[in-house]
Amino acid sequence: MSQPARPSIELSPAGSASRRRFMPALAAGLSIGQYIRSLERRLAFLTAALLAGIWALDGQGYFWPAWAWLGLGVLVLIESGAGWAWARPAGAVRRVACVWTIVGVAAVILVCTWLLTWLLAGAKSFWPAWALLGLATSGSAYSLVALHDRVLVAYGRRALRARIDMLTRTRRQAVDAQAAELRRIERDLHDGVQARLVALTLQLGRAELRVEDQPDVRQLILDAQREAHTAIAELRDLARGIVPPLLADRGLVAAVESLAARYGLGTSIEADTHRSLAPAVESAAYFVIAEALTNSVKHAHAQRTWVQLKDEYRELAVLVGDDGRGGADPQGAGLAGLRARVEALDGSLRVHSSTGAGTVLEARLPCG
Amino acid sequence: MRVVIAEDLALLREGLVALLRENDIEVVAQVEDAPALLRAIAGHEPDLAIVDVRLPPTFRDEGLLAAIEARRRQPALSVLVLSQYVETAYASELIGDDSAGIGYLLKERVGDVKAFLDALHRVAAGGTVVDRQVIAQLLAPRDGSSEALSDLTARERDVLALMAEGRSNTAIAESLVVTPGAVEKHITNIFAKLDLPVCDDDHRRVLAVLAYLRVSG
Repeated sequence: MSQPARPSIELSPAGSASRRRFMPALAAGLSIGQYIRSLERRLAFLTAALLAGIWALDGQGYFWPAWAWLGLGVLVLIESGAGWAWARPAGAVRRVACVWTIVGVAAVILVCTWLLTWLLAGAKSFWPAWALLGLATSGSAYSLVALHDRVLVAYGRRALRARIDMLTRTRRQAVDAQAAELRRIERDLHDGVQARLVALTLQLGRAELRVEDQPDVRQLILDAQREAHTAIAELRDLARGIVPPLLADRGLVAAVESLAARYGLGTSIEADTHRSLAPAVESAAYFVIAEALTNSVKHAHAQRTWVQLKDEYRELAVLVGDDGRGGADPQGAGLAGLRARVEALDGSLRVHSSTGAGTVLEARLPCG
Repeated sequence: MRVVIAEDLALLREGLVALLRENDIEVVAQVEDAPALLRAIAGHEPDLAIVDVRLPPTFRDEGLLAAIEARRRQPALSVLVLSQYVETAYASELIGDDSAGIGYLLKERVGDVKAFLDALHRVAAGGTVVDRQVIAQLLAPRDGSSEALSDLTARERDVLALMAEGRSNTAIAESLVVTPGAVEKHITNIFAKLDLPVCDDDHRRVLAVLAYLRVSG
């Protein structure tokens, strides 16, 4: 095979396609441009072969057709390189591709010229070295100048992604830490402060028994005891507002069952969750269900409600529905508060509620 | 009476021990956690165990589970469970299908020393004591609760609440300042309105009333 034909086949996919299809190329759907290019290449190949034939018939000697082959090869290379560069997206990338085509063609001319002088005349040193280095340097410099904004954008995107990953992770850690802290506070209130107040009322009770004959002292003790009882009741309400104790002690399903029993609605509960949930997820799911059941009773006048908990891929699906009058306002204060709570966990909250068709609250909570 | 106490807060535990000793009740063991409670019950065979619901190491419901387990091993044992908060589910689990010798009270009831000692004796004697907050939760007006319950008069609801707490007719009469005869009449009316099986036994009566409240709830 002749030397110049090779690079054209390597560089242009259209070239190899046209070679396979040969003459019926136009019928096979090649464009005029592609057809002319394939014709050109065949012409170059034929010319190269013809010159070699003339050299052979002319008594051989110095192999001058090699220089003609180089010229033909360079023409085909320029044409292919231009086609390749033109196929790049317009703008800086295309300009850089053009520069590299020029650099490539120049390098091929230099190297091939050196190769021919070495083969035909026995040149010794690789004289194109400095020229090649210069070409490569200027090509790189131009690329850097032309594409620096793209490089910066790509770098910026990577940095942003890393930042988003970090923020997502640390936010989740903060939410989890907060939930764990709230549970600890609930326990401290119940088992620490409240227990001490209970011990106090017990001591007051024992004291009261000893002063039954002194009504004024006894009255003071009873007053103190009443104060302690009020404090205990307030602490209990406070702790319940932080984390419902049953949720902390027995988990989501038990807490939801107790909740449903307290509302006294015919609530069917379908719990199909087996993973151990993070406190933050558990609390969010609980408060979604509590709010939904409250709304069902207070606003929707529902007769029946249902709760569904499902493990799905990397998330917990919480669905609460009723047969009430529907038409819930997704922007209402209660639902907005829930949405904030759910979104802090990267979850989503949706309300399906058309008038007369009941309401379904759907929360999806990522479980890591 | 021989008693075992399981409570993790030393201050409260010691207060309880002192209170019981002052009132001639023998405290045979005082422990801090559930395994120790089960060992103490097996070793001392007390008449009554006073158990805090939340015990170490996790402070969840170890005390309740231990009390249920202790009853399973020794059905004759009376158990009084003290809780930081009332939970009807806990009361149901504790009572199971035998309410004899079962008590479930809010922790702070120990402050009313006379009433607490009275409850202690009733439970030890095989009676049933359920905290009035549990009953209040069960009786609270709710959408979907039974219509029969709303047919009761205010006085009948008072009597029902006291019955559910495990009080005897005499105690109910004293508490409401009426005659025992009047209480009996109210009870007959309640049982008729709620269509409950009549029974004389106090703790069976509690069971029937609680079962009714739970189902209708």
